[in-house]
Amino acid sequence: MDRPPSSATGSRPRRPAAAPESTSPAALRLQWLAEALMIVGLLGLQPSLMLSWLAIGLTVLAGLKLLEAKRLAERRLAGLLQLVCAGVLGALQSDLGPSLLQGVAVVLALAGLLALEAGQGADWRLLLRRSLQVLVGALPVALALFVLMPRLAPFAPLSDLSRGGARMGLSENLAPGSIASLAANGEAAARVSFEGNQPPDPADRYWRVLVHDRFDGESWHTSPTRPPSEAGVTPAAAEPGSGQAQQLWVAEASGLEAVPWDGAALPLGRELRINGRGELLHGGRSSQRRLYGLRDNQGRADGWQRLPPQARDGTLPSGTNPQLEALGRIWRAAGPPAARLAVAETWFRSRPFRYNRSPGTLPAHAPLDAFLFDRQEGFCGHYASAFSALMRAAGVPARVVSGYQGGTWVQPLAGAGYLDLRQDNAHAWSEVWVDSEGWRRVDPTTWIAAARGGGLSASPDRGAVGWLKQQWWALDLAWGRWWLGFDREGQEALLQRLLGDHRNLVGMVVLAAVSVGLGVSVGVLGWLRRRPKGDPPRRELERALVALARRGLVPEAGETLGGFRARLEQSEPELGALLRALADPYQLWRYGAGARPPREARQLGTSLRRHRRRLERVLRRRLQRRPTA
Amino acid sequence: MNFGKTQQGETLSLGMRNLYIVPTRFGLLWLAGIGLLQVVAIQLESNGPLWLSFLMLGLFLLSLHLTHFNLEGLEVRCGEPAPGFAGDTLAYPLRLRCRGRCEGLRLRLGAGEPDRARSLVPGEHLLTLPWMPPERGRQRPGKLRLLTTAPLGLFVCWSRWDPPVAQLVIPAPRRGPVGRAPAPADPQERAGASSLHDQGGDLWQDLKPHRPEDGAGRLAWKLLAQGRGAHTKRFVAPRAEAPLLTPAAGIPLERALEHLSAAILRLHGEGARYGLVLGASTIPPGRGPSHRDRCLEALALAPRSL
Repeated sequence: MDRPPSSATGSRPRRPAAAPESTSPAALRLQWLAEALMIVGLLGLQPSLMLSWLAIGLTVLAGLKLLEAKRLAERRLAGLLQLVCAGVLGALQSDLGPSLLQGVAVVLALAGLLALEAGQGADWRLLLRRSLQVLVGALPVALALFVLMPRLAPFAPLSDLSRGGARMGLSENLAPGSIASLAANGEAAARVSFEGNQPPDPADRYWRVLVHDRFDGESWHTSPTRPPSEAGVTPAAAEPGSGQAQQLWVAEASGLEAVPWDGAALPLGRELRINGRGELLHGGRSSQRRLYGLRDNQGRADGWQRLPPQARDGTLPSGTNPQLEALGRIWRAAGPPAARLAVAETWFRSRPFRYNRSPGTLPAHAPLDAFLFDRQEGFCGHYASAFSALMRAAGVPARVVSGYQGGTWVQPLAGAGYLDLRQDNAHAWSEVWVDSEGWRRVDPTTWIAAARGGGLSASPDRGAVGWLKQQWWALDLAWGRWWLGFDREGQEALLQRLLGDHRNLVGMVVLAAVSVGLGVSVGVLGWLRRRPKGDPPRRELERALVALARRGLVPEAGETLGGFRARLEQSEPELGALLRALADPYQLWRYGAGARPPREARQLGTSLRRHRRRLERVLRRRLQRRPTA
Repeated sequence: MNFGKTQQGETLSLGMRNLYIVPTRFGLLWLAGIGLLQVVAIQLESNGPLWLSFLMLGLFLLSLHLTHFNLEGLEVRCGEPAPGFAGDTLAYPLRLRCRGRCEGLRLRLGAGEPDRARSLVPGEHLLTLPWMPPERGRQRPGKLRLLTTAPLGLFVCWSRWDPPVAQLVIPAPRRGPVGRAPAPADPQERAGASSLHDQGGDLWQDLKPHRPEDGAGRLAWKLLAQGRGAHTKRFVAPRAEAPLLTPAAGIPLERALEHLSAAILRLHGEGARYGLVLGASTIPPGRGPSHRDRCLEALALAPRSL
């Protein structure tokens, strides 16, 4: 050596090569990928919801933070923002597609956080393995908490964050005269599957949603407030959770409290309520997809169908449609309500009415007169509206019901079939009060020749794309049932089944489940971390060396296995012999000629294990002896 | 995080008793994020955020153990530090033995900047850490802090240790006058040495006419260029010229030692013989790396006042 003693004499002191806070490029790439997925997820949001803006804000914030982040702490913060944002997105969109997107984004964001900590040397495969290990390790705890942790009721019944934002589809005001043309809209409205995979008869596929009982001469409204006596006629038999659901509905976000149903079944679950008009009200968020079950009522119709009409069910503002009122007055003489109904049907059938989805708007003054006696063409809203008004003029209580009719039966490759209702299936019909039987459904549109044209029966999706779409919808339905189905009530039922009368123990059970889950994860990850690498013989050798190292018997730097063994034989003959029994067959096998089949490796591993155990026993004995010596 | 008992001893063996672990600020923010997701989930009765919040809670609980795992079972010993100069960044060697994978390990010596994170596979590792010694002498680099926040940065786990092995720090070389101690031998030689010093310290003494076999290395180029003919330098016998270096009088001792450090390096570079006199102790003239190192060590360990 002919150099000055320090490594740093010649040049001035060198700074450490990398700035201490610099992070790996893998982390940055992962975080940007997660950010991109978030932005894609934002595209499906409804801008009218306040919560959407929270999600958008969080995403933008995370993006800006990523852009300007120089230090580790800032990059971490961006990762956390992304996670929270994914959670908020999950609250807004729980369909299968967005859920998958959010799931991937969460995994990427977590992998980004892991890469941040692992330093610059981490390679992709290692990173992926580590991410999976950590994620899978956290799953047992998360699962235990998710399934068992009792859920709280919402803090406020009506959340301003989630209300509002009516979607297209049905509306509480029905004014057919102001609609020039019905837009074709194939968006999903609801899907329903039936027990026994048997859809009802096509003629009975009327799915009611809203009842319009107030008429002002032009349009029909849903009366906003109902007297308390009328509110809620949910039959006592429909206790929450009692019985098996025979119809499972998934209704898309509509902005309405009322959800589609067949008008006859019994609701299952606390959130559902039938009001006096026969609307099924769902307490959940109208801006989100809702899942509910109905139970058959054995054909009985003793609920809302039997509630006598209110005064407003017969109210017709006089003078708004004079011709219509005059015609109604003539029909009053026809006899009982059922007879007046028959007269009306005959009248409609005898006139040249035509079905037309684009009839143009009606005049603001006496619109129904213009429709009935002048234009004589229109769509379901026109007919239901005009017929109900005529019935009221004839002294029969009547109202307009809007909902869906028909639907496409889809039988996917796997799983239960379902009836697919689209916004195209939206329909309006009438209900009239007949003293002997209650409210009777009358659909005046069916009296018109070539009713609803081809749109009624045609499947909205054809061809391979349509088929794929249907399969996806089926998957989506199954996901919705599975994912949305586990709500507070589902959990209550599960806890009831698991704990029975010992509900007070739920806290202990949660704690025990979390501890066990955590213990298992920590144990497995700890074992994975310490597990020696390589084939079985190599593992046994490593373990033996570790056992020796615990007693301070360590190979010196640069010492070969043979050298170490020889040194050990001199100082500790007993241990040296044992190590020879391990090391010699290993070296023969490792460095000998020929292939090394895995079976041989296993056999050698087994024999080496015996030697290793003997070595460990000797070491233990010596340790016990030493304190007394 | 920088508190807790500093461990002592030859070897630091990390385990339950000497590791500290607390949530980081990011960990607390993480908990706040979980809280926010819980509020969203409860208010909107939504499974998505509920599941994510529980997953994040699970990660939080798991990460407590994983962070601890990173340092648990780690054994740290000192390597053999090479001597270095004051004012330079020195490399302090450490031997680490990991029982399992050790992720995101950051080391810091004394008050220096924390090292970048590194991941260590099971086995033996030799690491060197930079540090800046404050002055000459046998210096210990101060407290070593081992710290990790891997895998998620939610917890910080650390331990502190006082590495017992000192590193030799030599006065920084600095050009300047050095003193010559009177040689204890022949006064003739002493006079010759001082006159040499007066002439500018060149180590050759005389000239003689140049012969081809003398070689170009000993040719007096300056004279040749001045047109005074080719001469060969005649070097004095090394033994007679070996200077005994000593701190120059009239300047502070520390500064004088730095000048000596530079002089020793220069003389060593020229292949000359030299000795060192520091107060009562004397290193007789010699040459070669081991002699240089001996002299430099004497400089490093010189008493504060001679």
